[in-house]
Amino acid sequence: MRAAFSEALVAAAKANPNVLLLTGDHGYALFDAFRQECPEQYVNCGIAEQNMVGVAAGLAKAGFLPIVYGLSAFVPMRVLEQIKIDVCYESLKVIFIGDGAGVVYSHLGSSHQSVEDIAALRAIPNLAIYSPADRHELAYTMQTAMASSQASYLRMGKADLGDVHSTIPDSDMQAVLPILVRDNAKTLILATGAMVSTALKLASQRRDVDVYSVPCIKPIAKDQIYELCKDRDNILSFEEHSIYGGLGSGISEIIAGNIICNFKIVGINDKFSKYCGDYHYLIDYHELSHQKLEALLNN
Amino acid sequence: MTQVFDTKNLRKTVLDMAFSGATVHIGCAFSIIEILAVLYRNHLRFPDDTPAHPNRDYLVLSKGHGVMAQYACLHEKGWLSSADIKNYFKNGTQLKGLADAHVPGVEVTSGSLGHGFSVGVGMAYGAQRRETNQMCYVIVGDGEINEGSIWEAALFASHFKLDNLIVVVDENGFQAMGSTEEVLKLGNIMEKFIAFGFESIQLDGHNESQINDAIHQLKSKKNGKPKAIIAKTVKGKGVSFMENNNIWHYTRLSSETYAAAMAELEEK
Repeated sequence: MRAAFSEALVAAAKANPNVLLLTGDHGYALFDAFRQECPEQYVNCGIAEQNMVGVAAGLAKAGFLPIVYGLSAFVPMRVLEQIKIDVCYESLKVIFIGDGAGVVYSHLGSSHQSVEDIAALRAIPNLAIYSPADRHELAYTMQTAMASSQASYLRMGKADLGDVHSTIPDSDMQAVLPILVRDNAKTLILATGAMVSTALKLASQRRDVDVYSVPCIKPIAKDQIYELCKDRDNILSFEEHSIYGGLGSGISEIIAGNIICNFKIVGINDKFSKYCGDYHYLIDYHELSHQKLEALLNN
Repeated sequence: MTQVFDTKNLRKTVLDMAFSGATVHIGCAFSIIEILAVLYRNHLRFPDDTPAHPNRDYLVLSKGHGVMAQYACLHEKGWLSSADIKNYFKNGTQLKGLADAHVPGVEVTSGSLGHGFSVGVGMAYGAQRRETNQMCYVIVGDGEINEGSIWEAALFASHFKLDNLIVVVDENGFQAMGSTEEVLKLGNIMEKFIAFGFESIQLDGHNESQINDAIHQLKSKKNGKPKAIIAKTVKGKGVSFMENNNIWHYTRLSSETYAAAMAELEEK
């Protein structure tokens, strides 16, 4: 997925000389190709994220298209107010990339983990939120963000879990995308980001579960999600994000008062990562591993 | 219509707005009247006399609390109407109590302090990249430079050699809860900007010829350095009972204080 991201950035910059890539001194190897192919469009703003977002707003006002890159623990978390006032209030087009979302930086601890970024951004108007599951959704969401007239946040989570699509999806970007669909399955999993892969593996072993990916958290596909949910016995949302304010909250806002069903929001259960460990250790610690979720489905 | 930006008239417009809207922030509007008057009269270039021309000079009021002073100038520019002034703070009107970029002639939404400088730096950087001759002027408050993002922006401006940027620090010595000395000592502001790589001048922020000369001097220097003017000002300048009295950051005008302030301005 990171190679796809690098390719998408280079393609965007080559297609439009007004594209500028701003980084807060992050993305060392990731930007090798960009720095080589578009050196004039690469701007390292230093370890100064607040100023970087203000500068991005000023550049957008002056006719540029800034792509602001940071770790999702910092962009958006450290610069939430700049995103709200400098960019979104003024309806400026700036694309924010939050890398390493979820618990990707597992060994580094909570300062570098980000499980609250979607919740923080969902309440800000004039901002789309994307959460791609694989390199195909990444390419697809980047294209959509570039074509949009408004600001976007693209959440890049665990990037090496393999593909869930065989090709770049061919549908409206705000759509929920089928991953594994059976006849008359009474259980539905709506997953986003890295958790789509987990949902796919779980559902592959069963006959009664449909899996859809939700690459666009905001605006969310209300009508489609309502139709997918309305005749199910069980609905689960999967996200590597807090159970508060993310995909699960978005779905619950659609079904609340409309559909009677068993609905379970599966995510980080309102706690920090207490211990050091690798990614898979922390995913299991937060009860998002294949094994833990299999037990959940069996119950 | 000739635009003279007479500072007495600008202050009277501020008082009219503050009285009709029953609003606060008079003191911090009065401290930047001369700075704005000189900028609008002699320096800011607006091609076709329109506020949104792509080659205009930028003026960012980062200390958005002083926005009534800018409204008074925009009224004289003809971009705000007399009805806008008269109806200040009425329900459904466009002029808010802090700078808002949806108002023609206001570049940046500020008021949350420490934002506008970065946005202005971004605009100056954009103009530099486009190789236009646009200038970007940013007015920050001395209290505002408590914010860490101000110094992030100063580093950026210096690193990227933004010699089309002039930041004016309105050093009136007060912030919300007291004097800058009491709240959070700033030390020598000019030395700080010099240390950050700025070419800096300190002057009397109510002396129009000093301000004018400094801007002429600084903007003609294409030496790869951003510029800073440290303007020593008086909060509430122009009305004796408001000067250096921080209560006029918060106090609303009564009929009596409005009349007394207007009479005093008229005498000058």
